[in-house]
Amino acid sequence: MSTDDLQRDLTRRTENAPQELLTRSFFFLCAVLSIVTTVSIILMLTTEAAKFFSITAPLMGVEGPTASVVDFLTGTKWIINNEQFGVLPLVSATLAITIGSAVVALPLGVATAIYLSEYATPRAQRVLKPALEVLAGVPTVVYGFFAVVYITPALRTVIPGLGTFNMLSASIVVGIMIIPMVASISEDAMSAVPDSLRQAGYGMGATKFDVSVGIVVPASLSGIFSSFILALSRAIGETMAVTVAAGSQANLLNPLNPAAYLEGALPMTAAMVNLLTGDVTGGGIAYRSLFAIGLTLFVITLIMNVISDLVAQRYREEY
Amino acid sequence: MATQEEQIEGFGHVSRTVGTVFRYLLLAATLFGIVALTILLIYVANDAIQPLTADPGWHLTFFLTLVLPTLVVSGYLFRTDPTSFRFGAGVVGMLAVSSMFGGGAAMIFVDIVPPVVWFSYVLAFGLALAGVVGLERLDRQLPFLVRFVGAGAWVVLSFGLVPGLVQSLPVYPTDGVMLTLSLGGPVALVVGRYAAAKAGRRGTAVAILVALVAVGAGEVLGPLLAIGAVPATVLLAVAVVPTAGYAVGHIRRFPGRRPGLALAATILGGALVGAVAVAALGFAGPQSWVDWQFLTSAHSGTAAEAGLYPAIGGSILLMVTVAALSFPLGVGAAVYLEEYAPDNRLTRFIDVNISNLAGVPSVVYGLLGLGVFVTYLGQPTGTVLIGGATLALLILPIVIISAREALRSVPDSMREASYGMGATRWQTIKNVVLPRAFPGILTGTILALGRAIGETAPLIMIGAPNVLFSLPTALSSKVSAMPLQVYAWASLFASEPFYQAAVPAGVVVLLIVLLSMNSIAIVLRNKYQTDQ
Repeated sequence: MSTDDLQRDLTRRTENAPQELLTRSFFFLCAVLSIVTTVSIILMLTTEAAKFFSITAPLMGVEGPTASVVDFLTGTKWIINNEQFGVLPLVSATLAITIGSAVVALPLGVATAIYLSEYATPRAQRVLKPALEVLAGVPTVVYGFFAVVYITPALRTVIPGLGTFNMLSASIVVGIMIIPMVASISEDAMSAVPDSLRQAGYGMGATKFDVSVGIVVPASLSGIFSSFILALSRAIGETMAVTVAAGSQANLLNPLNPAAYLEGALPMTAAMVNLLTGDVTGGGIAYRSLFAIGLTLFVITLIMNVISDLVAQRYREEY
Repeated sequence: MATQEEQIEGFGHVSRTVGTVFRYLLLAATLFGIVALTILLIYVANDAIQPLTADPGWHLTFFLTLVLPTLVVSGYLFRTDPTSFRFGAGVVGMLAVSSMFGGGAAMIFVDIVPPVVWFSYVLAFGLALAGVVGLERLDRQLPFLVRFVGAGAWVVLSFGLVPGLVQSLPVYPTDGVMLTLSLGGPVALVVGRYAAAKAGRRGTAVAILVALVAVGAGEVLGPLLAIGAVPATVLLAVAVVPTAGYAVGHIRRFPGRRPGLALAATILGGALVGAVAVAALGFAGPQSWVDWQFLTSAHSGTAAEAGLYPAIGGSILLMVTVAALSFPLGVGAAVYLEEYAPDNRLTRFIDVNISNLAGVPSVVYGLLGLGVFVTYLGQPTGTVLIGGATLALLILPIVIISAREALRSVPDSMREASYGMGATRWQTIKNVVLPRAFPGILTGTILALGRAIGETAPLIMIGAPNVLFSLPTALSSKVSAMPLQVYAWASLFASEPFYQAAVPAGVVVLLIVLLSMNSIAIVLRNKYQTDQ
């Protein structure tokens, strides 16, 4: 091989060689798929929901029954056979599940996070963390079954008036399900607090309790809040557990009234599943109402995820 | 002035009580969820298996033959030789988990893919692989495009012609022989090489041959044990031979861990002796709802006769589809974001977008599947293909995020070393980054697949049937899944018999599958982390 050939071989730019281009474009396409997914979710939810509302249906060229936006957002009755599509009962039930599960999961999750990051030995961590992951790994339909068959009868010995399907046990299982989410994100935030802060606390004569509550928790507050929001968004989107456990009566209830949890209701996600397990023919108004609820759900969870991101970024203490 | 002369009277009291109470409160909170779930699991296992319905003699026999010896041996080993203990427990665990998956695989070969079809495709794949590798070896001077087109043409040709040709042959070998060659062959290659350890070429060849013959023994053993040649061959290839190969290879590498085999022998032997003794003495076992009949029959209107067979098969097919779709796409996206992507707006947008997709509720993914695949692309509802595609989209963000973490953990110095040797970017990724990150990627993918297996809502959305009486046979046939069947029993057939029999049994099967997948992932992760 002459020196010229060698020179050419050694200084050849490989960046745009066919093989490199081919692999790079494949990887790029894979990454772009996520954008395609998001765009198609948004497009599909909006176009199908647009066919549902009477104000936009003519634009989509859809004939047949439609529902008005005002009725949808303010109506207090959800009766599909009467074509009464008021989303408020569903939203109130979803809100109730969210509040109920928050009462269970937020304190327990934060306590778990403090224990794991401040108190647990590495050995205890190795056992506890996978065990907590299992909590999140159990299929949600199984949690729903647990709620109906084991938790409700157990609760009934204390609260005799509890219905077979009720919001209380549904909230409890959803709460148990989201504990690991709160715990793991909060624990990450707490572990990120530098040791120098803790040592400063100990140097001032603080006890471990003082350091945990007075230094570590305030320093990781942004992470804790972002874990709350993410976990609650998961509770809102939770489907099978509430479908099985919360019943199918679309009652309008007051989520702040504890007595409301004793009976069943129909959260948004459960309403969607019920619509499909009933006889929904493709293209009808009931079918489109599915996408209207889906859009509502998607917007709510998206906003919560974005807020959680913003909280975590904006209020993060830089160490 | 007076204030300055005040003396400090000690530091005051610091109470220990508050700290102690706080600490135990935290511990209680941590354990709350775990304990609650454990209690629920005990309840559901009790309902499904009903251990108390067995004869006291049955319990006593197994206690004497299995539980007591196991406790003694493992207690002794655990105190004297923990590494051997872990090895022995690992062998038993591997046999249990792989037998379970072997059962699933046997189901595929019995009811979904006839062995001859599988054999013909494996043959085509082997030919294609040989052709591509041969082309690469033959002449590196050919331009890349020529090689690429040639290899592509060869692959298309062999997949287009070979399966049809083989399947149209008038005579072909028995199912057992074909499975031994097509399934046992690759398994024997891997297992034999591991088992032979450093035995040299001849030793390795012998080990591979022994493994192959062991798989082939299914042809004889199957009819003897009355389970048929195909399931026996599959079980040998997927479970028994790999476990035995692992045990042999491990002992050859670490001779000091030989006592671990005593534990494995105690457990397996104890179970066998117990089973024989119970049969001989005539003690009745528990009236478990999770029995052979439950695992092998379809849904029925009466709870006691209802079974999970089509749902298990559906879940397996869905899992295969989801893995085939989400693994390459997810890893590809992760590689792009970690290795190629410039730090610009598009990249940051993709980044944010992926983390938001991970938070989208699963019902919404179901709507996506319903809207895009069914309404716009006109696919029939509830098929394996659209179910798998929807679930793959659902877990794609999780796969991407975990694969990125694995890629990020590969130290930059390794990449730089590779570039320093003159490797291109793709060569670096292929030869350095991906092999190093592979265990981490695999762990993340298995966990994500576990999530996909437990999902019900997207399947309902795309119109998967609640009740299915036969296994899906193609990508375009209707599919059911284990969680879907459990949901159908728990809500549509909600009655006391179903709540007491079929649902707990279904839940137990589903949880066993999920927990064993999770434990594989955790074992892989621990091994991987200690290796680094």
